Amino acid sequence: MKLDHSQPLEYSTGQNNLNIFGFWIFLGAEIMLFATLFTTYFTLEHRTGNGPTGAEIFEITPVLIETILLLTSSFVIGLGIHAMRLGKIKAMISFFSITLLLGLGFLGFEIFEFVHYVHIGAGLQTSAFTASLLTTLGTHGAHVTFGLFWGLAIILQVKKRGLTPETANKSFIFSLYWHFLDVVWIFIFSFIYLKGMM
Amino acid sequence: MKELFPAKQVMGFVFSLILTAVALAVYFLDMSFAIGLTVLVVTAFIQALLQLVVFMHAGETKDKWSIYGNVYFMIFIALITIFGTLFLFNWDM
Amino acid sequence: MEFFERFAIPHPSPAIYASMVVIGLTVIAIIAGLTYFKKWGYLWREWLTTVDHKRIGLMYLISALLMLFRGGVDAIMMRAQLATPDSKLLDAQHYNEIFTTHGVVMIIFMAMPFIFAFMNYIVPLQIGARDVAFPRLNAISFWLFFMGAMLFNISFVIGGSPDAGWTSYFPLAGNEFSESVGTNYYMIAIQISGLGSLMTGINMITTIMKMRAPGMTMMKMPMFTWSTLVANLIIVTVFPVLTVALAMGTMDRLFATNFFTSSNGGMDMLWANLFWVWGHPEVYILILPAFGIYSEIISTFSSKNLYGYKSMVASMVIISVLSCLVWAHHFFTMGQGAASNSFFSITTMAIAVPTGVKIFNWLFTMWKGKIRFTVPMLYSIGFIPLFTIGGVTGVMLAMSAADYQYHNTMFLVAHFHNTIIPGVVFAMLAGLTYYWPKMFGFMLNERIGKWTFWLLSIGFVLAFFPMYITGLDGQARRMYTYSEATGFGALNMISFVGAGIMAIAFALIVYNVYYSIRYSPRNIGSDPWDARTLEWATNTPVPEYNFAITPQVNSIQPFWDSKKKGHVLFPAKLDKIHMPNNSGMPFILCSIFFVWGFSFVFAIWPLVILSTIGIFACLVLRSFEKDHGRYISIEEIKETEEKTGGAKL
Repeated sequence: MKLDHSQPLEYSTGQNNLNIFGFWIFLGAEIMLFATLFTTYFTLEHRTGNGPTGAEIFEITPVLIETILLLTSSFVIGLGIHAMRLGKIKAMISFFSITLLLGLGFLGFEIFEFVHYVHIGAGLQTSAFTASLLTTLGTHGAHVTFGLFWGLAIILQVKKRGLTPETANKSFIFSLYWHFLDVVWIFIFSFIYLKGMM
Repeated sequence: MKELFPAKQVMGFVFSLILTAVALAVYFLDMSFAIGLTVLVVTAFIQALLQLVVFMHAGETKDKWSIYGNVYFMIFIALITIFGTLFLFNWDM
Repeated sequence: MEFFERFAIPHPSPAIYASMVVIGLTVIAIIAGLTYFKKWGYLWREWLTTVDHKRIGLMYLISALLMLFRGGVDAIMMRAQLATPDSKLLDAQHYNEIFTTHGVVMIIFMAMPFIFAFMNYIVPLQIGARDVAFPRLNAISFWLFFMGAMLFNISFVIGGSPDAGWTSYFPLAGNEFSESVGTNYYMIAIQISGLGSLMTGINMITTIMKMRAPGMTMMKMPMFTWSTLVANLIIVTVFPVLTVALAMGTMDRLFATNFFTSSNGGMDMLWANLFWVWGHPEVYILILPAFGIYSEIISTFSSKNLYGYKSMVASMVIISVLSCLVWAHHFFTMGQGAASNSFFSITTMAIAVPTGVKIFNWLFTMWKGKIRFTVPMLYSIGFIPLFTIGGVTGVMLAMSAADYQYHNTMFLVAHFHNTIIPGVVFAMLAGLTYYWPKMFGFMLNERIGKWTFWLLSIGFVLAFFPMYITGLDGQARRMYTYSEATGFGALNMISFVGAGIMAIAFALIVYNVYYSIRYSPRNIGSDPWDARTLEWATNTPVPEYNFAITPQVNSIQPFWDSKKKGHVLFPAKLDKIHMPNNSGMPFILCSIFFVWGFSFVFAIWPLVILSTIGIFACLVLRSFEKDHGRYISIEEIKETEEKTGGAKL
């Protein structure tokens, strides 16, 4: 394995470079995935059947809390990568752990929100609008859930193996994923919630 | 401790909070749908760009142009898909 | 009892029972054969666990050929049913199932793996790489495709085939009108293999962008590599759309949601929309690599550099964007207004321009060239006029006002077969003949190959050109029969004869393989066609590391330059080579995916949960696994080079 010491650890091998590049291509696919969900949502937004409309069920408080939690987690994982580049492994693990805790908080609020929707008669089967709403939110939520497990696996590996080209590479790729989820949430926040409540 | 909080990222975070607050104006202030939507489009895309450049370091290697090219291509096709569909089903049917 | 009833076939017939027996006997024969010849270990070590792009390419190739025959049998049954008016050969339900599986198998399980076979085998060789960027992921891609294909193919003996057309439009594909599990198979099997395609897309783009040999700039890449890059960019762009659409279709069928239903706000037209947002670019995913193969072949056998390289690249890039801008031309008659129909009409017609540029470039490549009429070249020359006719009828269909006449008739069926068969199928057969010596070390027989080409071309014209006429006269597609009074009988009989001739041509391909295995000379060297690009610069059979020394590239035809102009292809010294290890994980992971898919089709939820856990367990294991690959020593390389025809240093 050839090491290139002029680069940060996560870019230091040829395979590492490929991994990061490939993940960017994957994020391109993710853009299209969420774009399709948005296409569906915007098309079905006003087709509420006998169910409630968006304005009737959206509430600003939980949504705002979720937004702040996810924004902060995205900032914190950025700090984690910065600490990693400084070689400060303890700080990095702390930042990553805080990120995951914030993510867990986000997920908790989202689950609460889902339960609330079902409770007030806006379940998955109610109408085309609710189906597309819950599927879009649910896909994002599933990504966050997957990210929690993934992040946990990475923290464990960094703890066990220290900062190697592999673990640094994995951590960096995970940070890309997490930032991306925040970007998606910004669009959900703006064009599903705020637009719906406007 | 200070070196763990680089100014660029802290500024980025503050800026994204401000953008969120601006976007919230469409909920708390009374404005027309067109103006509100414009505000949302502007704040959302600036914030996405902020994440891309400041937090995701999209431009830090020599693959910069492939990465940006890929992302912009996808966003372009994404917008075509969204607006093409709305064109067909909402504005022209 | 109800639980078990779902596994029964809703419309059994003697043909299906016979197929069951044949499938059972084949499985037993394979298992017995492997055991008798003690080949289980070989199969596992060399094939099931391989991460070598060449072996994965070959497995794609074999699967694609098998699926070609499966889809071909469906086609023959359809033509036989329509050969005479008021035929009672098949009933309506059986006919529905056959045209559905024919479409799905041919597009998703035949054409896609066929192009993946060439991409996998050829692209790393063409760019001078050791393997693809993510060899393990590549194996997962293949096995996901394979398991998806198997899941789809067992549908006709367990639970019944899908019968709502390969487009599976709602509400027809909804629970109300498609009660059997057939459409579940459609949704889940395509989902699984679609995931594999997406991964291949990411893999190929990364490989081509990051792993080219030194000196090979973007504008010095061989044309097939360019076409692969563009096709995979389209894959990454549109396959997520299919993923979402299929997921929502599955939810409508299994979880009673209302995306595409006719009640509670559901919108069936949205399915058609999303399907074609994927579906139209999909045909360009198929045709662009085919164009790439034609470009390689025409250049080689005209003994000339490819004409208009830059315009070839530019037109492919333009096609990649335009292909995502035309999808609504598949449903001009759905009720949207004149403005959107006009928009999509114009973008559709615009695609003819870059395609036309490519046609002229091929013609100019041949112009004043020293043409050798080999089998691959015959397919390429046959392709140009036949495909052009398909393209011209495509422009006719693109006119939205006129489309009201053509829509849903045999005219459309004739059109897309007219583009896909001379476009994609001819390219695959040309590529198969062209690359066969690289893959297996001997040539396919040229005489039998020429017979195949002529039979296939004549059969094709006889089978599909009459459909243009019956289509314009109003014969609807997907109708299982027609009355004698329509007068379609004679032309449909000609179609059937044509289809029969095509069947003979495909049988000849099998015979050719058999004949060539037995009689073809083996000492043909590594460059039997006097070709121009890097894939011919390495030994045959290709060593697992592809090139002992990474080649140095100076132009778009480095190998030709090394033969004729004294370009030094391998300037460096021999060094040990890093290669990835084999792994059983992809096969095991994808087998669990098969179980997951099957239990999803039949809504066996405990098994779904169990297999989901299994899938995630594999991912976790992979995350914690330490695998740094292995090194091949200089001695080993020298030994291999000697064995495979002498070191190319």
